[in-house]
Amino acid sequence: MPILELKNVVKKYRVGKETITALGGVSLAVEEGEFVAILGTSGCGKSTLLNIAAGLERPTRGEVVFRGVTISKLKEKQMVPFRRRQMGFVFQSYNLLPALTAQENVALPLMFSGLSRRERDKRALEMLAGVGIADRRRHKPAEMSGGQQQRAAIARALVARPKIIFADEPTGNLDTRTTAAVMDLLRKAVKENRQTLLLVTHDRDVAGFADRYIHMVDGQIVNETRGAMN
Amino acid sequence: MKISDLAAMANRNLWRRKGRTVLTVLGVIIGTASIVVMLSLGIGLVESQKKTMAQWGSLQIIRVNQAWEFPGEERPQKRLTDAALEEIRAMEGVVGLSPAFDVWGEARWGRLRGHITLIGIEPGMMELLEFDTAAGRLLTENDRFNVVAGSQVVNNFWDEKARFRPWEGPPPQRDPLELLNQRLSVTIFNANQQKRIYSLNVVGVLSDRTMERAWEVYGPLQQVKKIRDFMNQGRQDQDFGYRLTSVKEGPVRVTPGKKEPKKEEQYSYALVATRDVSHTRRLSRELRDMGYNAWSMADNLEGIEETARRFQAILGGIGAISLLVAAIGITNTMVMSIYERTKEIAIIKVVGASFSNIRWLFLAESSMIGLLGGAFGIAVSFLLSHLLNKYAAVFFNPGMAGPTPPQALQISLIPPWLVGFALLFSLGVGLVSGLYPANRAIRLDPITAMRHL
Repeated sequence: MPILELKNVVKKYRVGKETITALGGVSLAVEEGEFVAILGTSGCGKSTLLNIAAGLERPTRGEVVFRGVTISKLKEKQMVPFRRRQMGFVFQSYNLLPALTAQENVALPLMFSGLSRRERDKRALEMLAGVGIADRRRHKPAEMSGGQQQRAAIARALVARPKIIFADEPTGNLDTRTTAAVMDLLRKAVKENRQTLLLVTHDRDVAGFADRYIHMVDGQIVNETRGAMN
Repeated sequence: MKISDLAAMANRNLWRRKGRTVLTVLGVIIGTASIVVMLSLGIGLVESQKKTMAQWGSLQIIRVNQAWEFPGEERPQKRLTDAALEEIRAMEGVVGLSPAFDVWGEARWGRLRGHITLIGIEPGMMELLEFDTAAGRLLTENDRFNVVAGSQVVNNFWDEKARFRPWEGPPPQRDPLELLNQRLSVTIFNANQQKRIYSLNVVGVLSDRTMERAWEVYGPLQQVKKIRDFMNQGRQDQDFGYRLTSVKEGPVRVTPGKKEPKKEEQYSYALVATRDVSHTRRLSRELRDMGYNAWSMADNLEGIEETARRFQAILGGIGAISLLVAAIGITNTMVMSIYERTKEIAIIKVVGASFSNIRWLFLAESSMIGLLGGAFGIAVSFLLSHLLNKYAAVFFNPGMAGPTPPQALQISLIPPWLVGFALLFSLGVGLVSGLYPANRAIRLDPITAMRHL
């Protein structure tokens, strides 16, 4: 049984008087421990697909089932335990809180879960060491390079040991060399812990890190490719 | 999320925009200080009036007289008999009671002549009834012709031989303590023109705290009763020799009372000590309802407090307006800060912040603004209150100048409860001001919020 399943998901937006179809009936199954990349040009609906799969947006039609729960029907409030314990997020623009240090940013999900400060700090430091920036733990995001910030963001996504990680163009703001390093790290991390990773990118090289990648054009899946790393 | 984390986060977020936070807090400081100072003026007014009044009589003593009988009055008339005293003694809030007799007569003190009013009182009750001596001692059960004199009694005596020279001004005031251990001889006449001379020994002089008792001499009840019995010999009636009686119709007639063979003892008046001022006022009212003529300094408080309450309501209202403005300032600041932090709110939602986490993050910030403003506002209030008392008190100096110098009267008084009230109130204002912004933050849709960025 797949850990995440999208069943004929349709998403329409209303822009002024026009209705735009971002997703035109997408079905997708992601197995536990799998690393799936969604590849497509800007505006093809891949980010919408990721947001709907992660429960950040509701589909217009169709449903999303995560570990047997139809999360597309849950209310915002009911999503909280999923986000706390089962899902991790990595964004293109890192989305670290500027007022907090790297360590505090990584520890943030644990704080909302009510862990003690000592426990949080310990686990956050472990994560930072895992992504190779333990020495930057007292730095604020503005004092770190893009690659370092994204490493911290990955550490934050992984700190609560979620079942699935959603990554939206995680390397979009990074140079080629850093991209390779970050993707290596991400892949290694999820494979070590048998975590599932659903990643969105426009970069073929990045998609190459995945077990399989899916081509999207105009809100439709056009084909699937086995990744080069298998 | 732990409360300590919440507080730490809120505190950190608050100081990211120092200038704005400081200005918002300043608004609350002004609001709190204006309310506290305004209320302190009202409290100061009541307290200084109480102090002034306490110089004239105690707030915990009620003087109970028999009511006079007037025709046409419906309310019951009570006589001050032993049974009546027992009834009063049993009332809630009464802690002490003494009946009193009063006699008066000519007195001699060495070669000086004068006139004294001698009050008989239960020696054991003197302490409860707030008698206290400047020198010597109070009466004890064993005293017979020992008395305690009020502080002004000494000025009741004058030298007959000395010529009266009005152009030299009033005779100099004597030191009250001159009377201590002196012997006064009092001459009492009764209605049969018989005369008795009593020799009294002054064992104590009262302190001049209350003017009420300054002109009187106090002796043991039983002894004074004997003097009074002698004084009343040959009188038609024990009370006054005559009595106002009601007649169904027509004018009031003064008629001699009937001679009664054996009459129940009736006292001139009684002094009642109460537990505190609030009891004094209630008891005083109840005693009047029962048909006595009860009087206490505390009765006057009602009017003063009513005035002060109105005064306070007006001043407090002015203060409340500035706090309201400050509250709107907090709301404005929080709304601004939520706009600025839209993206951050979205992020913390995505990493698992619940609705209540987010609500409390913002409520904690607005409460902190309120609490900080309240704390500094109280500090400012104490400063203002101090300055008012130091420099403005002269203008508010009440007309009744007593033995206490006017600078001891505070026109602004901040009691501890007002400090607590102000802190809680400013905290509450902060909390309430944060409700609307916090709910806005909750309703932010994470994706819409993030897409903008």
